[in-house]
Amino acid sequence: MAEVKIHQEHEGGWSDARKPLLCLNTGSWRTQRPVADSAKCSFCGLCALYCPTGCMRDKGNHFQPDLEYCKGCGICAVECPRKAVVMISEVEFQDEKSA
Amino acid sequence: MKKARKGEIRTITGNAAAAYGAILCQPDVVALYPITPQSEVIEKLAGFHSDGLLDAEMVEVEGENSAINVVTAASMAGARVFTATSSWGLAFMYDGMLQASGFRAPVVMVNVNREMPGILAVSSGQQDMTATRDSGWIQVIAEDCQEILDLVIMAFRLAEDFHVQLPVMVNYDGFYLSYLAEGVHLPERQEVSAFLAPLKKQPERPVLVPGGPLGCGTHGILEGFAELRFKHSAAMERAKKIFDDIDALYGPAFGRSYGGQIEEYRVSDAEIVLVASGSAAGTVKAVIDARRKNGEKVGLVKLRMFRPFPRERLTRALQGKKAVGVIDRSVCFGWDCGPVFMELSAIASGIGAPPLMNFIDGLANLDITACHVEMMIERVQSAAKGGTFRKVSWIPLED
Amino acid sequence: MSERNNAAAEEKSKAKKKRLPRVFDYFRDEDPFAGGITLCPGCPLELLLRFTAKVLGKEIVFVGTPSCSATVLYGQNTRSWHKLAYYSCLITGVASSAAGISRYYRRLAKDATVVAFTGDGCAADIGFQALSGAAERNENFIYIVYDNEGYMNTGIQKSGTTPFGARTSTTPVGETGRGNPNPGKNLPFLMAMHKVPYAATATLSHLEDLAKKLVKAKEKKNEGLAFIYVFSPCPTGWGFESDKAISLCRTAVRTNYFPLWEAERGRFRFTRKAGSPKPLEDFLGMIRKFAHLSRKEIGVLKKEVEERYSLIEGMTRRWPLE
Repeated sequence: MAEVKIHQEHEGGWSDARKPLLCLNTGSWRTQRPVADSAKCSFCGLCALYCPTGCMRDKGNHFQPDLEYCKGCGICAVECPRKAVVMISEVEFQDEKSA
Repeated sequence: MKKARKGEIRTITGNAAAAYGAILCQPDVVALYPITPQSEVIEKLAGFHSDGLLDAEMVEVEGENSAINVVTAASMAGARVFTATSSWGLAFMYDGMLQASGFRAPVVMVNVNREMPGILAVSSGQQDMTATRDSGWIQVIAEDCQEILDLVIMAFRLAEDFHVQLPVMVNYDGFYLSYLAEGVHLPERQEVSAFLAPLKKQPERPVLVPGGPLGCGTHGILEGFAELRFKHSAAMERAKKIFDDIDALYGPAFGRSYGGQIEEYRVSDAEIVLVASGSAAGTVKAVIDARRKNGEKVGLVKLRMFRPFPRERLTRALQGKKAVGVIDRSVCFGWDCGPVFMELSAIASGIGAPPLMNFIDGLANLDITACHVEMMIERVQSAAKGGTFRKVSWIPLED
Repeated sequence: MSERNNAAAEEKSKAKKKRLPRVFDYFRDEDPFAGGITLCPGCPLELLLRFTAKVLGKEIVFVGTPSCSATVLYGQNTRSWHKLAYYSCLITGVASSAAGISRYYRRLAKDATVVAFTGDGCAADIGFQALSGAAERNENFIYIVYDNEGYMNTGIQKSGTTPFGARTSTTPVGETGRGNPNPGKNLPFLMAMHKVPYAATATLSHLEDLAKKLVKAKEKKNEGLAFIYVFSPCPTGWGFESDKAISLCRTAVRTNYFPLWEAERGRFRFTRKAGSPKPLEDFLGMIRKFAHLSRKEIGVLKKEVEERYSLIEGMTRRWPLE
């Protein structure tokens, strides 16, 4: 048989979760981001519960999205019972996360 | 000559021989679905299980597609597996078969040759094996009931070999062998376990473990895909020699050896050779013996392994022969001939480019009779002497 | 004065106690998925995947099919999107593969939970034979279906559960096309009629209900097939704003379009009974795939919804689950 370069360990197609997980910077998809008002927040956790990406991080007295992964879907804003979360257009922000 | 060793001899059908071969290897998971002419295989397995002779998970599936998926998945979780099918069932398994070979699952399956595709036929023919020759499976063929049992045992040893890790299909002619009862020597269970024991000393293949980091069946992307495809091809190439080695070890273990990828029957000094596989080989051997008494130098190369194609062994065996006749029990659609002939043509220049002739015969339970074989030999002899010859003959349709 | 108010406000917020809903208690393990995965913003399937893994724990083996979920469940070359063991199938072979794996684990007395995870296209159409066979044979695994009412990953085509009138790429709306002419299969009921140990419907607005059902399925799979059917609307394919995904699920339940029930061996119970259901128009009006429906067509769909609801209601009366 021909001389070839082999990179994968096994004969068949196995993935190995001990390697770094595949992960996308889904935060770059956003056109709007959630902004949480900690004064209005009752710390009920529903935004964290319903966030599909699970990117809501516990900040001690409120939850805040991890902007690396937040896709800007807006579910947290709709589900928040206190309307403590509002969606603001990305054009309003000038940080590396909105690049 | 086949020597009897300790262990029984029973008069059993080819189907029963396949089932015995399987239970002697003690599979963990068996999938059962009936189709003529294979149904007796699964009935026997179910009977063994119910009588306490087979300790396995028996899955009476609702279709062959499920049968192949059950055994492939169980195999990737680490099980030794077995199932059986034929023609249309094989077709229904096709997507799962591709998964089995692509995943490198050591599945052992008996395929009782029956005509397929297209024209519905409940009769013998090798078209089902031919139609699946590109599935990435190893395909081997048995001549008689004893060889069926022996090939099933060898199939486990081959499939599970760490340097192979490929599914193996054991083929035998439906109706001619499936329902034919012959005396078959049954090895003892310990003998078979001892024969399969070397597998345990090899490195372990990866298996699916709950809570483990390995995931089975990734998307192959670009070079990653190409690499797996290459590995699969390379394993097929390795399987040829490994099959020869297994057959060579089978002799001392059980008293029978068959020659590995091909059996060379009176070939070394033969001037002309016929190439055949399956039960027809028995008829050809009988006619050859008669012709030899006449002083005619005829031989038979019995093809035991079809995939991978034994091109090296065939090249050595057929080197310098004056003419070769190939009996095909199926058709290679898109070419004007049968598949074994078509593939053998690829090594024609390597064997000295003798006249190569194809005899398509034995479709749909039409017997390949001794008369047919006599006629084939005569035609090949005439070609060897320089006479004109027809490249492809459809024997059943000639007057 | 404003400074004092700010300070007071800050004190008040620091003193806030976290009062998380009970459903958080159901999480056994961390989310094993990567932070950024390839599903649309607002996709209920993403919520379902992460939620299921957290509730069922890291000893599960996912068995998947080519689908939206495959983009996350299956690895690429040697890398994976998550930390769990999985087995990737063809769309025809999910339930049978799951059966093969769970049978072997049973033989080894391994306490493992095999979770077949597919969309409605696999479960109701091309993989239905295998699912039905596995249910009939009492195979021991959990089969979770996320119903987005179509083949979404391949481009929003009609499936066996696409409802009457729905616009899809293979039942389009045009000169003569009026969307799907057929009512779709009632798959959860069909599976309950296999008399499996457990069959239930759930959705992503009622997460404690879903969590309870997942836990119950994990236990019931020891007796046979545990089947959970999750209403999982697709913002991309159905035409609604992604932020409405959860409230759409809630509306589906409240209009009786998707009632929440469970059945054990053919005996039924509602897990949430709609008192007086909201009008179906509340649901239909949120989704563009129904926007073209005439009054008469809405009437046909309404009748189907009412019949399905009363079927379950009848079962809860005649064959109640205590």
